[in-house]
Amino acid sequence: MANNKYDVKDYYCKHTTRCTVEGEKKSKRFVGRNVLKADAEDKVTGEAVYPNDITFEDTLYLKVKRAVHPHAFLKDIDISEAKKVKGVVDIITAEDIPEVRKFGLIIRDQPVLVGIGEKMRYMGDALAVVVAENKEAAIKARDLIKVKVEKLEIITNPFRAMEDDAPDIHPDGNILITHNLDRGDVEAAFAESDIIVEKKYQTQFIDQLPMQNEAGTAFYDEKKGIVNIWAATQWLHDTQADIAQSLRLAKGQVRIIQPTIGGAFGKKEDVSVHIHLAIAAIRTGRPVKFTYTREESMITQSKRHPITIYNKTGVSKDGYLKAWETKFIGDTGAYASSGPAVVHKGMYHATGPYDVANIRGISHAVYTNNTYCGAMRGFGTTQGAFAYESQMDILAEKLEMDPAQFRLQNVYHIGSSTPNGQQLNHSVNAEETIKRVMELSGWKGGQKE
Amino acid sequence: MKKYGRGLATIMFGFGYGEGFPDHSIASIEIKEDERIVIRTAAADVGQGVITTVIQIAAEILRIKPDYFEVIQGDTHTTKNSGSTSATRQTYFTGNAVKKAAENLLANIYHYGSLEFRSNHPEINVEDGKIYMYDDPDNYITYWDLARTLDQNGKKLEAEGSFFPVTYKPDQEGQADKVYVAYTFLSQVIEVEVDTDTGMIDLLNVYTAIDLGKAINPKNVEGQIEGGTVQGLGMGMMEEQVIQDGITLNPDMSDYLVPTSVDIPKFKHYLVEDEDSEGPFGAKGVGEPTLIAAAPALANAVYDAVGIRFFELPLSPSRVKKALQEKAAEDE
Repeated sequence: MANNKYDVKDYYCKHTTRCTVEGEKKSKRFVGRNVLKADAEDKVTGEAVYPNDITFEDTLYLKVKRAVHPHAFLKDIDISEAKKVKGVVDIITAEDIPEVRKFGLIIRDQPVLVGIGEKMRYMGDALAVVVAENKEAAIKARDLIKVKVEKLEIITNPFRAMEDDAPDIHPDGNILITHNLDRGDVEAAFAESDIIVEKKYQTQFIDQLPMQNEAGTAFYDEKKGIVNIWAATQWLHDTQADIAQSLRLAKGQVRIIQPTIGGAFGKKEDVSVHIHLAIAAIRTGRPVKFTYTREESMITQSKRHPITIYNKTGVSKDGYLKAWETKFIGDTGAYASSGPAVVHKGMYHATGPYDVANIRGISHAVYTNNTYCGAMRGFGTTQGAFAYESQMDILAEKLEMDPAQFRLQNVYHIGSSTPNGQQLNHSVNAEETIKRVMELSGWKGGQKE
Repeated sequence: MKKYGRGLATIMFGFGYGEGFPDHSIASIEIKEDERIVIRTAAADVGQGVITTVIQIAAEILRIKPDYFEVIQGDTHTTKNSGSTSATRQTYFTGNAVKKAAENLLANIYHYGSLEFRSNHPEINVEDGKIYMYDDPDNYITYWDLARTLDQNGKKLEAEGSFFPVTYKPDQEGQADKVYVAYTFLSQVIEVEVDTDTGMIDLLNVYTAIDLGKAINPKNVEGQIEGGTVQGLGMGMMEEQVIQDGITLNPDMSDYLVPTSVDIPKFKHYLVEDEDSEGPFGAKGVGEPTLIAAAPALANAVYDAVGIRFFELPLSPSRVKKALQEKAAEDE
């Protein structure tokens, strides 16, 4: 399948940017100045090359047959009709790639393709990869693939998942990971508190929604034994390592070349098109291209965790935080992704920037059959902030205190300790941010302007 | 009827991976004979501006304007690991790696420059890409001359730098001496009007003060504050992927709403710069913190406006309207 007419080196994208000082006087200082963004001109003029802009001659197009049920055993997959579609070059199912291993950011629990007898765990799971001369043929063939499944109970939320009689989504059970916080004497501090507020908060599934959907191109350089992938990732070398272990290649055999990528917000930490592209490139010996639709992107790739947060907070009547008990239950969906790190990071920030000597907390990241959740800007602490800052305002009202004043008298300073017991020894200006934002907004002791 | 309200939120964010996870960045810089200075880093620029940030840092250290710099990123075979563009870490981690590379390169410029001038470092100065003796500034060699001279001896005028700070994994009770490298703090006041007939929230003004150590590029920071806040407001009042029995009901941008230009409020910012962090020039990360306060500040503002506390996000018009109707029924 070697084909020397593709000279891959011609297509390496050297991402070079030039930077200029915008209308500034001659100065020896460059830090702290509004230097014009180096990549702005290319982006504004359309010169910037994004992964989807890279196309080779003779490129083949990929489409993936996804799960037909959120939780089911694959009993049979029939590609015979699909193969007859004109323009179809290859249809890859799990039985074609027995050597390929699972992938995943922290825990490798995601199958590249679900095989017969194996489980699909959410609607984004891949069952087959269609490779065709054009997109239309790939779509037509994909839709002709016939699948038989044995349906299982769909676990729609983490509370059902944690019940004893819930079916296990993964072999080790539905609780992916548990973390604890324990500092000071919470019981005693609640006993001494004058006011205790106990509330439950709930956040939602959110898509990071970068403008560009997952897209990429790959080509296998058989002479060098290197598969070249042009696709977005927020961490090149980690994605390279995950692809390499999955395909049982040396790291050096996987080259990722990153053109301009645009926004990611956490969504491009996970493998998306990469492994399917690499397999198709190696099998066909031709350049291959795969671009998700928005629908596919939203169903298949990671979400912001919905987290259920219980906060119980005790204060003294003069408005000092005494005790905080918290519980974070995160729906991590069908696969681990960044889930083992997200939910408890939220819990570690459960008290916000406020001094609380006595804290106890527990967090669980729990598998369900929803689209898997992973990294998104704020990484668990965004959900936590909705809960603790709502809690602070509720407390301030009960104390009949101005919310800004209540915050000012509890906020961290140099020497404060976080719920993790980390003593803050430098760059702690939380108090000044409150004072400055009061000034900016004309906030005076609770009086509206 | 439209009712005015305002809400405050103060947040903190421990950045970097932390928790003892090995977190580092490697960068290199090379001065080329053809008047280019090439920075190599794998740090992904997702629009936040890390390319510009590292150019400014290197320009500051090497005392030459940014116009000469090129950044080569994003190739596993020509750059070394820079860690992910996530965890609000690139300015701090890759910024520091580039700063160290630039410092090492400057030291090389002084070293090889001192050989050319048969002198020692204290008598030598560099400015605008020129190397000269303090007492004879007209008799200079350029960085490009020096690169050429080295090249003739089979050497490159280059240096590498890396940054690899220590954090510790929390124990069973979540305790450790240093869990995150540093914390960014931010306070935000959001002013809204709630339409009590429709449940719609109009965003009026957003005031933000951020404790970021040092703004390497203040305009980019403003961009982060505005972009992050708008994304947070999307979470606060409109965004939700509805997944029912494992099936997404709104997998498209006509049913999954995000803020657009017509929703954007007015912004005012204040940057608290104490230059006290271990980041480059005292900088801390800003990427994630700029999003986090928006949803709670919004919820607090809506409570201030209509006296209803929401415990579930988003505060969509239908949810707000339903709550207003329930409250009206209770009040009667």
